[in-house]
Amino acid sequence: MRILIQQIINGLTTGSVYALIALGYTMVYGIIELINFAHGDIYMVGAYGGLIALTLLGTMSTALHLSGMGALLVGLMAGMLLAAAYGFTVEKLAYRPLRKASRLSLLITALGVSLFLENFVMIGQGASDKTYVSIGMLNRNFIVGGVSITMSQIVIFIAAFAIMLGLDLFINKTMTGRAMKAASQDPVTVQLVGINTDRIISLTFVIGSALAGAAGVLVGFYYGVINFSIGYLAGMKAFTAAVLGGIGDIGGAMVGGLVLGLLESLGAAYLSSEYKDAFAFIVLILLLLIRPSGLFGSSRS
Amino acid sequence: MFRRLMIIILSFGCMQSCTHKSNIIRIGVAGPMTGDQSVFGRDERRGAELAVQEWNRSGGVLGKKIEAVVEDDQHDPRQAVAVANRLVSDGVVGVIGHFNSNCSIPASAVYHRAGIPMISHGSTNPQLTEQGFNDVFRVCGRDDQQGKVAADFVCRDLKLSRIAIIQDRTTYGQGLADEFRSHLSSTCRTVYDGSIIQGDKDFRAVLTDVKSKKPDLIYYGGVFPEAGLLVKQARQLGIHAVFMSGDGIMGPEFVNIAGSAADGVYATFGPDIGSVPAARPFIESYRKLYGEPGPYSIYAYVAMNILLDAIKGAQTTVPGKLVSYLHAHTFDTALGAIRFDSKGDVAHSPYVIWQVRDRHFVQR
Repeated sequence: MRILIQQIINGLTTGSVYALIALGYTMVYGIIELINFAHGDIYMVGAYGGLIALTLLGTMSTALHLSGMGALLVGLMAGMLLAAAYGFTVEKLAYRPLRKASRLSLLITALGVSLFLENFVMIGQGASDKTYVSIGMLNRNFIVGGVSITMSQIVIFIAAFAIMLGLDLFINKTMTGRAMKAASQDPVTVQLVGINTDRIISLTFVIGSALAGAAGVLVGFYYGVINFSIGYLAGMKAFTAAVLGGIGDIGGAMVGGLVLGLLESLGAAYLSSEYKDAFAFIVLILLLLIRPSGLFGSSRS
Repeated sequence: MFRRLMIIILSFGCMQSCTHKSNIIRIGVAGPMTGDQSVFGRDERRGAELAVQEWNRSGGVLGKKIEAVVEDDQHDPRQAVAVANRLVSDGVVGVIGHFNSNCSIPASAVYHRAGIPMISHGSTNPQLTEQGFNDVFRVCGRDDQQGKVAADFVCRDLKLSRIAIIQDRTTYGQGLADEFRSHLSSTCRTVYDGSIIQGDKDFRAVLTDVKSKKPDLIYYGGVFPEAGLLVKQARQLGIHAVFMSGDGIMGPEFVNIAGSAADGVYATFGPDIGSVPAARPFIESYRKLYGEPGPYSIYAYVAMNILLDAIKGAQTTVPGKLVSYLHAHTFDTALGAIRFDSKGDVAHSPYVIWQVRDRHFVQR
């Protein structure tokens, strides 16, 4: 029982991270039907953004003592900002000129952007692992009844859920959010009611990338190391989570991420740790055989 | 007309490569230059290049300048074979490397087919020199020696009995874990035997399983990027078992990743070069150029020196003569005298126990 609870905690932590990244996939897909393969690399850029900001702060002044919470917020903000800037630029330079081109060209461009970002960061930041700034507060460890939970896990839960709640409120309660939803249903007709589709698409990329950036910083704190290639596997997993939940559906991406994290953790514990990654994909295939549009996806015409 | 043009082009190509060959002697340096293990590649390149610089400053070898041709195998066996083929077609007279056993073994077949001698500075898997290739050498130890030293230390000195073994399913990691397991004495019992995937960052699922087996010691067969996270996450999960691994975790990177969890971790590696008098000039010139040497810097330096010594001694770069010279002579190196046995291994077992204390590896 104790082991089961521990595995569930472990799984929910990775699951929340997958969910945060999956949201960006699903939002972009919802609005321009593009599988944005560069999204995983935006997450990686976000992780570097947080690290760079914290390192700069650390070297600028040792007198400037950031409390644990302050450093965490600064890191998150920097990561989200940098990721958002990259997401905005990538859409503007790489995807917008191809808006009218075939979907395949767009998809190949996305792969190209992904390779570009990876190599760009590798040249700029070096090929080896970077150790993340360690915040004492996050390394605190609580052991309750033999089950261990670290402060960084708690922070990941809280941050992920706060961000997701904020996103949900934004989309359903604000005018811009509702315009986004409308644009995802029919990007052409919404222009008739005075919605600027270009702006909405830019905004979608900015928000999706900021979420991925936040995930990158949280993962940096959680594992303590990042490198230029972390985006690939994380991107694949988040994509799987988005498909699992039904791509295009925001609630589905959140649930899909959590389910994927749990499946991986429990699969590794009770079946085989070597096939952890394969296990998630097997479940995806099985689910798609039964429900081709994912858990919550509606079949689009 | 076309044929004549082809002949001109081809002869020009030959002319170029022929003049190319006569001016310099090229030696391949292959290892993980990029990726998460790139520090090992960096140390290797620096060690080998330092040797080349020193030789070139005193006039090169056979009256020619020496050039190190650095290639990146990304610790990926497929890449290693591609790199090996490229080095062979580049006309190198010998190769230093590779570092990872899963790269050295497939690459050694390529070099063997071309008849080029290869001296690995860090591949410890026994298989490398058990293939019957007379042109494969290594200046480091073997994992059957390393695994035995570790197992004896755990069972006899630490007197621990419940052992958990985790490995990363690479040639090196799995091989080392197998050697360790086979040398455990009857007082030690394996309570967990599992593996993780190289490149993964989350080992909590496996470690939670390990925790329920209540081990006294976790032995890990693998390399520092995973080892550092493994020990860190183990401590976070409340596992207090002693952690031990092999030469793949040596160096400051392991401590950087694991943080305070690194303290007390044991590893097996060659003796501290700070206490070897012959290594002193190497350490000084390395520090001046690059800073503190990494664990395998000196091994790459020694491997390069041995190869160049052999070229000088044999007065030729003809592979067959070079290989027989390497087998027949004792080399005076920064690690002391080195003589290869018939398999291409160094004669004695170099392994001693190291431990992390105050964030530094120190020899016990």
